[in-house]
Amino acid sequence: MDLLQFAIRKLISGIPLVLGVTFISFVLMVYFGPDKTYELLGKNPTAQQIEEVRHQLGYDRPFLSRYSDYLRELSTLDFGHSDSTGERVIGLLGRTIPVSLALTTPGFVLGNLLGVLLALIAAYHRGGWIDKFIMGGAVVGMSVSFLIAIVGFQLIFSSSYGLNMFPVRGWDVYSLTDYLRYITVPTMATVFVALGYNTRFYRAVIVEEMTRDHVRTARAFGTRPWKLLYKNILKNSLIPIITRIMFSIPLVIISGSLLIESYFGIPGVGKVTYDAITTGDQPVLKAVVGLTAVLFVLTLLLTDILYKMVDPRVSLK
Amino acid sequence: MRPEPLLSVRNLSIEFNTERGVVRAVDDVSFDVAPGETLGVVGESGCGKTVTALALMRLIPSPPGRVVSGSIRLAGRDILAMSEKDMRDIRGSEVSMIFQEPMTALNPVFTIGNQMIDVIRRHEALDRKSAKQRALEMLERVGIPIPDKRISEYPHELSGGMRQRVMIAMALSCGPKLLIADEPTTALDVTTQAQVMEQIVKLQEDFGMAVMLITHDLGVIAESCRRALVMYCGQMIEDAAIEQLFAQPQHPYTQGLLRSIPRIREQKLESLPVIEGTVPDLLHLPAGCRFADRCPRATTDCHESQPPLVAREQARVACFHPGLQDHA
Repeated sequence: MDLLQFAIRKLISGIPLVLGVTFISFVLMVYFGPDKTYELLGKNPTAQQIEEVRHQLGYDRPFLSRYSDYLRELSTLDFGHSDSTGERVIGLLGRTIPVSLALTTPGFVLGNLLGVLLALIAAYHRGGWIDKFIMGGAVVGMSVSFLIAIVGFQLIFSSSYGLNMFPVRGWDVYSLTDYLRYITVPTMATVFVALGYNTRFYRAVIVEEMTRDHVRTARAFGTRPWKLLYKNILKNSLIPIITRIMFSIPLVIISGSLLIESYFGIPGVGKVTYDAITTGDQPVLKAVVGLTAVLFVLTLLLTDILYKMVDPRVSLK
Repeated sequence: MRPEPLLSVRNLSIEFNTERGVVRAVDDVSFDVAPGETLGVVGESGCGKTVTALALMRLIPSPPGRVVSGSIRLAGRDILAMSEKDMRDIRGSEVSMIFQEPMTALNPVFTIGNQMIDVIRRHEALDRKSAKQRALEMLERVGIPIPDKRISEYPHELSGGMRQRVMIAMALSCGPKLLIADEPTTALDVTTQAQVMEQIVKLQEDFGMAVMLITHDLGVIAESCRRALVMYCGQMIEDAAIEQLFAQPQHPYTQGLLRSIPRIREQKLESLPVIEGTVPDLLHLPAGCRFADRCPRATTDCHESQPPLVAREQARVACFHPGLQDHA
């Protein structure tokens, strides 16, 4: 019951956040965004034609009424049709978001799980050569640009110069085997880069926790080293770990997949967003921006609930 | 003839590597603890009490710390030569330790029951249910009201005194032969201090274990110990039975410590006597007696060579000019 109340309160307090984000982005879109009029009219339009098109596009209506339309669209999830393809925006997103999720989830989950695991191993052997080896690898992962990682893995695994085992582009998924074939290389590239940052961060968190008094107490009672790590230390380190994971979710879904999607020719929401920005496809942009803000609020809520599950000192009041 | 000691420490020296050089935190310390005895260890902060205690559990963080010489024998076993695995089997079962900060010494994200059951099951082949039963009994014995409610609470839901009782319950749950209590009451308020100390003394009698009580509070020592060691700057400077220590302190430092305890019923003093000067830097120790610079009796001898620990009046003292002369 507490939890439900808390969720409702948190959702209500998220409304101003959504309003703020959408308002700012809408101002930017309206005053600094692309103007479709001249694209539609071609060369040498008359003043009357301009006015007519501006009226059709709704550009002549007052700002506030256009903004409230946007909010209505956001609440009904009906964003109209894409300017460039004419496809319904919600249909477009419904088609591409699942692809992006399917594409990024394995890399995201693996990147974090392996990150925590490697961090635990490194922290356990801290100062020793295993630690140095893992952390050296992490620095390499961090230092290699994502682009290089993508191109490198493509060369190694998907080109005739390398192993040529996986398709280099596209998304022709009809079965689990297809799926695995298409995501393997992108996932490897994502994990390779994410692992660097994750491992370093998680190791720092875990090592910090290892110096706490309660860890000394546990050692003084004969707790075995691995149990100390995976039980006593890990649960205490989970708050920063959860924070990092949860806050990267909205970014991973929207923008993290952009590079991957363009380089592997995968029709996901990152690609759709990118195209909408470059062509000034306002309906799509409005949908993506608004939904990202909502996603953030939901993530915040979930993060707080997870905090409570991990740490009994966190109250949901 | 004293009985075979439970714990026997000989010529123990411990060094720490610091950024500014090597510090000898414990220097040539030797003492015994008989089974069932309560030994007090007194001294000011940084005198090596805690480091000595941690060494008995082999819990000195290493690096930077290391035992450079000496031996520690507990119940006939050579602690310093044991494998890490054997050492873990002993910690919490043969020898337990309770720590100064009950606020942070317990794990904040597990219930006290969970933590106690972990300790019990670590050392004894009990299923969860019987381990929980044992934990409940222990909580009851350390004087925690409504143990079956408390057992499912988290450390932050308990008061400081309660938490320290939980620590004690945990420490005693596998029947240790030696309990090391490192400033167990320092972080508690005065009334709770008394209750917790009383509990420790009572449990010590019930369980028949030896207790090594580390504190800077001579009052606590007086109430609960039969014998006490006084440490200064990593060295043992006096080792005496408690009545002897309070009635006829031999070392000028011990005398200074005793004089600086406020007394309620005695004549009004202008100010509380203090020991003049400060503890020498462990990095730049004097060649002679480490207390010489602050000692009213210091002579050239004291500044030039270190006084050995010698037997005197049923005690052991490290001083060239021991006794009660010119100080009452």
